[in-house]
Amino acid sequence: MASIEGLFRKHLVICVGAGGVGKTTTAAALALAGALHARRTAVITVDPARRLKDALGLDGLSTQPHSVAVDSSAHFDALALDTKRTFDALIERFAPSPAVSTRILANRLYQELSNELAGSAEYMAMEKLHELLHLRRYQVLIVDTPPSAHARDLLAAPSRLANLSASRAVSFLQTPAGLVGGSTSTVARLALSALLKALQRWTGFDLLHDLADFAAAFEHMIEGFRTRAEEVNRLLRAPSTAFVLVTTPEPHTIETAISFHRELLDGGFPVAGIVANRVLAFPRLDETEAGAATWDARLRAKLLRNYGELHQLSRRDRRALRRLQAETGAPLLAAVPAMSAAPTSLAGLERFARLLVSI
Amino acid sequence: MRGPRLLFVTGKGGVGKTTVAAALGQHAAEHRQRTLIVETATDGRLAHVFGHRALAATPRRLRAGLDAVRVDARELVEEYFSRLLRFQLLSKRLLASNAFNALTAAAPGITEFLLLEKLLSWIEPGLGRRRGYELVIVDGPGTGHALKLLRTPRALATMVPGGPLGKTARRLLALLGDHSRTRVLLVSLPEDMSVRETIETQQALEGDLALHVTRPVINRVFPRHFSTTEALLIEQDGDRNGTPVPPLLAAARFAIACRREAERHVGHLRRALGVSPIILRQLFTPDVHAADLETFGRTLGRAALEYEAASGTSRTHPSTSSGQAQHDSRP
Repeated sequence: MASIEGLFRKHLVICVGAGGVGKTTTAAALALAGALHARRTAVITVDPARRLKDALGLDGLSTQPHSVAVDSSAHFDALALDTKRTFDALIERFAPSPAVSTRILANRLYQELSNELAGSAEYMAMEKLHELLHLRRYQVLIVDTPPSAHARDLLAAPSRLANLSASRAVSFLQTPAGLVGGSTSTVARLALSALLKALQRWTGFDLLHDLADFAAAFEHMIEGFRTRAEEVNRLLRAPSTAFVLVTTPEPHTIETAISFHRELLDGGFPVAGIVANRVLAFPRLDETEAGAATWDARLRAKLLRNYGELHQLSRRDRRALRRLQAETGAPLLAAVPAMSAAPTSLAGLERFARLLVSI
Repeated sequence: MRGPRLLFVTGKGGVGKTTVAAALGQHAAEHRQRTLIVETATDGRLAHVFGHRALAATPRRLRAGLDAVRVDARELVEEYFSRLLRFQLLSKRLLASNAFNALTAAAPGITEFLLLEKLLSWIEPGLGRRRGYELVIVDGPGTGHALKLLRTPRALATMVPGGPLGKTARRLLALLGDHSRTRVLLVSLPEDMSVRETIETQQALEGDLALHVTRPVINRVFPRHFSTTEALLIEQDGDRNGTPVPPLLAAARFAIACRREAERHVGHLRRALGVSPIILRQLFTPDVHAADLETFGRTLGRAALEYEAASGTSRTHPSTSSGQAQHDSRP
């Protein structure tokens, strides 16, 4: 029932996983396969490696869809997200006046927040996705995501900024005592003023002022963010959406995939299954296979030793994938055999796609 | 004994930071350096390498001369504010509140500063405290966060020029900027993304922050099993009349291609940074064995700690080597 081809009946396919597991390549290959399955497909890639970028014909800052021809009849659209972009463009769009946007952009806290707290790359990915889906130009939209340690960094991105100004951090500034459950005892007030002093000393007296200033300026544009965030949140949980966990058999990435899966389920997001990349499959050799070659003894010994080493790694990979399936209960949609290097051309990407999906 | 006092091991997740930190820690301890490994991740892998179950928030002995400790950003912040607030019960409620979390998350550099302050206390303990460590190895965090961490003292020293906070910031700035005391070691894999990140990080650390970055480590490099002639034979054979490639040959071709790919990345790193990377080989066992750790330790120790010359000195002049009396005999 769970097949990777099933993904092409979805509108939105989101590839998630640790950094460096081949998410971008997988997303691009899925788009290519989607095109060969005669679906109008687009892929949003995040920070693709230079050579994949070249293969897809994406130049430096192509944030607009760009057509990639697989053959004479099949093509898909690709675009790259520039993760270095911040909220600046968004602030300028939503701010009620240039004066307000200048004030926000110059705010030290904003600068910190736009980089760290709000996860600008994640936000931009979600923002772009929203924009493209509204064009209704594509049947399938494949989304590569920024490398995040946690699914929540990505999925909470739309809400995070909207929640910020409404957060109790701001009301705390007005009525600090509310923080300790309505307690108005002298002890509580003393402790709080000590805390505030510590924070002020910490930040060179500016933080609280900055925060208040930021909140006040931000209040004007919060409605735009909030509406947008709600729409994206609804979209991510729709039955026409599928999350794909991309991983390699490395212990580190397996753990990330397991925790991603848990967070996705907890959040009510639809998970379609797992794609495992760079899987080694050198099974135990039987005597006839091992003895078939007519090599001299020295080279034969080397060949056997090399095979033995790769067999060890293959066993490790198989164990890791079994563990991942046991922990998540999610189906393994594809296990792509290890290649020595990532695809660097459209032909290479097509080979990868054929290992991933039957075309 | 010469060599650095503080060594940051960084690189993106899964590149083998913990293995590198463990190998270096063990190597330093064998060279009679009172060594502490600081684990910033919470996966407990470091303890596992040495056959222990878990690390604690205070240094714990792994083996002779080698301690390890786990630091958690949230615990550091809580500890700091509990110290300031003094009222235990109240501070607990306060620290559990969302508003507090929002404020500390927004206060730039607070967790970074507290981590660095902790490191400083292990290297330069105050009067009347226990002796410090001769070498503190920080396992992690990832490259992005490491940059932020190492930038913090400078930002803070400008922001808060005076007071006890400013004083600590300046002490940290002096420690990090001292090339004989502090070094950063970048670990990467023979993969495009990892190598690119290493180059960018090294340039940022050396350029903007003027830190001492050692030669980078490139981990999991496939061994070179086959000579050029053999490789040629292997790659030409077996393609006759469309028969499938025998598994032995397919495996050999895979290994040769991986080796070539790794050599390409080594070359790329060398050209971009002007130094030869430290090469650690791919291991084929599920766990890192003690013997592998020792081999890695020797390779890394030579390049990152420069112990060869230094250990020679300490053997000829044992009296100049500090901290010997506290040590168990070498294994």
